[in-house]
Amino acid sequence: MAVEKMKVIGIVGNNSDLDKVARMVVMNGTIHMLNAISELNSNCLELKASEDNINAMQELTDIRPYRSNADFSEDEKIIKAFHDVLNIKPAVIKGHINPSFNYHELMEDLKKSYDDAKNTLDEIEELNSQIATKQNYIQNLRYAKIEDLDVGVLLNLKYFDFNLMSLSREKYKKLKLNYENIPSVVIHLGVFDDSDIVAALTPKELKEDAERIFTSLNIFKLDIPKGYTGSTENIIRTLQQEISTMKREIEELKAAVQLSREKYETVIVKSYTMLMVEKKIEEIKSEIALGENLFFMFGFVPVGEIDKFQSQVKCVFQDRVILVAADVENRKYGHSPPTKLKNNILFKPFESLVEMYGIPTYNEKDPTPFFALSYMLLFGAMFGDVGQGFVIFALGLILKYIMKNNAFGGILSRLGISSMIFGLLYGSVFGNEEIIEHLLIKPMDNINTMLISAIVLGVVLINIGYIYSLINLYKRKDLEEGVFGREGVVGYLFFWTLILLAIDKVMNILGVPTWGYIVTLAALLLLMVFKQPLAHMIKGNKELYEDSPADYYIEAGFGVIETILSVLSNIISFIRVGAFALNHVGLYIAFATMAEMMNSHAAGVVVLIVGNIVIIGLEGLIVFIQSLRLEYYELFSKYYSGYGIPYKPVQIYNHEDY
Amino acid sequence: MSNISRFAAVNTKIKTLEGEFLLAKDYRNLLEQKSVADAARYLKNETAYKEVLKNIDLSQIRRAYLESLAKQKMIINIDKIIHYFNGDYKRFINTLYAKYEIEELKAVARAVYNGMDTKPFRNSVFIGKYSKVDEERIYNAKYIRDIIAAFEGTAFYKYMQPLMDNNIKENLFRFEMVLDASYYEILQREWEKLDKHDIEVLEKAQGIMADLLNLQWIYRGIKFYNLRPEELLNYTIHLGYRLNKNFIKQLCYAKDLDEFYQLASQTRYSFLFKNDETTDIFMERRLERHMYFELKSVERSNPMTIITTFAYIVFMEIEVRDIISMIEMIRYGMPEAEAEKYLIRALSGGE
Repeated sequence: MAVEKMKVIGIVGNNSDLDKVARMVVMNGTIHMLNAISELNSNCLELKASEDNINAMQELTDIRPYRSNADFSEDEKIIKAFHDVLNIKPAVIKGHINPSFNYHELMEDLKKSYDDAKNTLDEIEELNSQIATKQNYIQNLRYAKIEDLDVGVLLNLKYFDFNLMSLSREKYKKLKLNYENIPSVVIHLGVFDDSDIVAALTPKELKEDAERIFTSLNIFKLDIPKGYTGSTENIIRTLQQEISTMKREIEELKAAVQLSREKYETVIVKSYTMLMVEKKIEEIKSEIALGENLFFMFGFVPVGEIDKFQSQVKCVFQDRVILVAADVENRKYGHSPPTKLKNNILFKPFESLVEMYGIPTYNEKDPTPFFALSYMLLFGAMFGDVGQGFVIFALGLILKYIMKNNAFGGILSRLGISSMIFGLLYGSVFGNEEIIEHLLIKPMDNINTMLISAIVLGVVLINIGYIYSLINLYKRKDLEEGVFGREGVVGYLFFWTLILLAIDKVMNILGVPTWGYIVTLAALLLLMVFKQPLAHMIKGNKELYEDSPADYYIEAGFGVIETILSVLSNIISFIRVGAFALNHVGLYIAFATMAEMMNSHAAGVVVLIVGNIVIIGLEGLIVFIQSLRLEYYELFSKYYSGYGIPYKPVQIYNHEDY
Repeated sequence: MSNISRFAAVNTKIKTLEGEFLLAKDYRNLLEQKSVADAARYLKNETAYKEVLKNIDLSQIRRAYLESLAKQKMIINIDKIIHYFNGDYKRFINTLYAKYEIEELKAVARAVYNGMDTKPFRNSVFIGKYSKVDEERIYNAKYIRDIIAAFEGTAFYKYMQPLMDNNIKENLFRFEMVLDASYYEILQREWEKLDKHDIEVLEKAQGIMADLLNLQWIYRGIKFYNLRPEELLNYTIHLGYRLNKNFIKQLCYAKDLDEFYQLASQTRYSFLFKNDETTDIFMERRLERHMYFELKSVERSNPMTIITTFAYIVFMEIEVRDIISMIEMIRYGMPEAEAEKYLIRALSGGE
């Protein structure tokens, strides 16, 4: 089955073992954490009342969440500095992880290495910050250049103060409004990043007054370098030279550290790995509950993984840690289990399209296999062409293997194959229908057959959709929707009666009078209208309605209209499958005619190539979307809720960010 | 999107929520309570505030905590409303949170500046709601500088950054003024993305509120703070509806209080200044009450606009303010007849 079965596990142990257990959970990588406080509040932890468990039972009365006070910023800073200097790519080496590891000792080691290299590293940092300052200067001087202000001269005036500043747009308006009362000359340099940049020249005598006013305007003074002379242009050039000298210095310093690379490398790689593990552990701890001496941890684990984890825990902790596993089927309260999809290689890529709509809930049937098959079928039927299909297949392979887009590449290549198969059936190669003989049908010569078979295909697919829906509703034991609902038994019968009516009208084979059908349909509709009171009556509830009856019947009344409309429109909607198959040929015919109108043979070939590219790009996209539309609206809306929670175990990847 | 389809659902929701507002009878009953716990019990049993009080042990409840629960209710209701919007409208409504966040931030900053413990402020419910700032860093701040640093990367930082200069000493006053000004600038920037008609009503509603606050500010500036006219002007709110910026400038440059009174008496807001001892005591309340009626009238004449939502949030704020005042009055044993005068909502006719 395609949704993997889960179990809930509960782990209880001494607080002193908490770090080790958490580390083990990270290493194991299959546990989807559950908040322990809410779990303990909603479900009773089932412990056998034996001597061993008595402590745990007692502690349950007083539990609290874990409060983190871990701060890794210092460690992170050191590791990052080393990574930069030594050009090491951050990578997690899983071999370094082991449960009884002491993080603090490792950090001591790391700090020792850091002390050795500290001077050089600090120097590099200092240089980097100086470069940043100078770059900021350059940026500010460029503002001054807008009005050709000669900063070198202005800064060295004897009786005047020169400032560059930025202020918000509203405050600049205030400044303009009251300009006559401000003891400075203000030059507007422009608006950058939603702030006004201005230059101000103030007599030194009035400096204090001006400062007060500018402060009340909340100005931000822009730094300009002191001690430089010459034109603004020259100062910028000097600064740029200084920056490049510093950059060279940094390279030299780095080279010096790299000489002793071997000395540092192992400890840094290890530290990085452990730092990432430590961070994951904090993540785990945020979900646990603490008692006086014990901790409580809960999570979902796929059934197949439980034994492995159990034996790992047993091996390290013997009897000090209690591990209980419970079935999820009996859970009445608390979070529902997460969904992990499990599909074979043919269907796997289509999971991403299903997830775009929603994840199946744990009890729901995974729609991926049906989705994948019907999606390939629909796409192929609309876009059947051996040549163009091959191009799409090749594009898919390129996406998958070269651009590493596994899901989308996988989907495209499968669609390509389906398109090629239908190409054979239609006898179409790059739009040309003369190269190979068709195996089944030539769409353009059999327009009616194409359209009718599209509807038949639609009926078949919707039929399967109903079956899925019935299974899901049965699993949920939902009497009201399952029997009387629009997607339940009654709805299904309604659907079939309507189809039989249509067949009978067209072919006249069954000979049931029309009023017979109408009475049946009306009866089924009535059942749908009264679904809630009926279901409640059968279940023996006293209350017939959940809300007020008036509201219920208004809603049910509209429901009837919608049911009739949607059953019809859902079926007819599938006519597009035939229409697009025809459209595909039609588009080619247009290009082929244009190619024939060309004077030279070469130009004709060019038109055909361009035409094929357009068809693959444009029509391919349209058909891709139309098939998705059919799946989502016509089929998913019938049987699929998609309210599930994705399975996200705590695990560590090879590339984690700081 | 047409205004009908944008506002029909949310305005209906707001009408329902407005039905939850306390009645005059609730106000009177609350004022009659003898202790904070009794008031809390009344709110829990008789009013919509039961939503936030249902799991609370009332016998031990403290005033500050009850106040924060009342504010919590405001958040719950505003969040309900936000669900009905998307895109620029959603962002605009979310910006309204900034006002309350700033109010709480100023309180924390005052404590930090005076070297007091920030623990009592941990009940603040709005901090981080708009700015997404890391609350812990605010509460752990030793200096105003630490608070500002915590805001790096948020919408407020651009406005606070100038305060980080070292040559002017750390200044609580500037911090408060800058934050207030930033709110109105951010708000305006967000509302400019809305539909034309919505901008117009907001300009009117918020403009009237700004008129009132500006008058109050200039009056206090002249009377108490002794600020220079240029500074007074620079700290005014740039939005305005009936008072244009040149008139505001005139007010700021008034030589003394008499000239200010004379100018203010020409405006529609002359009722704020009675030139007697009641002016200062009741200014806040007169201002809020006037705001309430102005908002009601703008709301009535502009159905199916953003104003319904905007006004609802202000009305909710007024109610919470009144509840907080009432709890304080109960706590400090003010007689009912006296207490009434300080509430924004008028319980009996007339002043």
